[in-house]
Amino acid sequence: MKHFAVTIIGRDRPGIVSDTARVLYELGCNVADSSSTILGGQFAMILIVSHPDFESSEPLQQAYAELESSGMSVFVRTLKPGGEMRPELPGELCMISVYGSDKPGIVYQVTRLLSQNNINIIDLATKLIGSEERPVYVMMCEAVLPATLSVEDIRDMLENLREELQVDISVRNVTPVEL
Amino acid sequence: MAVCEVLVYPDPSLKQVCSAADPQAAETSTLAQDLIDTMYASGHSVGIAAPQIGTSLRVAVVDVSESKLGRKHNHGLVVMINPEIIERSGQKTMREGCMSVPDYTGNVERAKEIVVQFFDQHQNDCIIRCKGFEAVAIQHELDHLNGKLFLDRISNPGTELFRRKH
Repeated sequence: MKHFAVTIIGRDRPGIVSDTARVLYELGCNVADSSSTILGGQFAMILIVSHPDFESSEPLQQAYAELESSGMSVFVRTLKPGGEMRPELPGELCMISVYGSDKPGIVYQVTRLLSQNNINIIDLATKLIGSEERPVYVMMCEAVLPATLSVEDIRDMLENLREELQVDISVRNVTPVEL
Repeated sequence: MAVCEVLVYPDPSLKQVCSAADPQAAETSTLAQDLIDTMYASGHSVGIAAPQIGTSLRVAVVDVSESKLGRKHNHGLVVMINPEIIERSGQKTMREGCMSVPDYTGNVERAKEIVVQFFDQHQNDCIIRCKGFEAVAIQHELDHLNGKLFLDRISNPGTELFRRKH
């Protein structure tokens, strides 16, 4: 069965999710993993969907034409076989909070350091808060550590950046407990 | 001694409110032993409740003493028959997973410290005060006795979808 990744974004209003879901339901698509949220004034949805017969993304794109004409942007990506499967993600899981007065390069500097150390980001959210005069940037990053690194190692690693960027950084272990 | 199959959702046993067990009955001590054997056999679990092996009785076992998070504060193996939480205080959020809900984890807020009353496997009426991971584990297992899963208590839906570490 072919899987597709559908990305939808547009000015937020009530009904975007149900409009999107109706199209998928009427086509006979299955929704697997999905994530949707409001970013600024935009509502963004990403869904992994499948259909027993579709070989290409064409029918999906056509079905979304109406939604697109109402001002939403829709992008459909055809996944390669296995692209819908979640990979095994072994290793400690940590949450990295970075916050401070807004300045260029916070996301880049932090994520470059993580990437250089083979730390896999699995979730990232940033938000601009505070006032116009004193904007504050908040970044929450969830990452999987390679077996060779501990939460303390990441803390040490980020220490230089904390001084360089003049931001506050904290790292804590959020590895799930099985009960 | 019996290691039992751990039932996974949507098995209906997991959504039932369990009945009180007879602390003196031989079946209850057999059940407790099955729970202990199944918990230890899984290798990575720190607790299990009777409905997870298909018995709708109020019995659960917990042992966090071997886990990194529970090493400091624990009562070793705790066998709880007809347990009741009689006091709760504080708040603690942990990302929980459950053998009965594979491949899903979520942040759950629970009491940080609890006092729990129960009969143990030797029919003693026990009252213990637990904190930290042990308290979380006991609250998770006791939820099972009321047909509740951690899914019913997730505090934020954000980033919960990935395979947990075994």
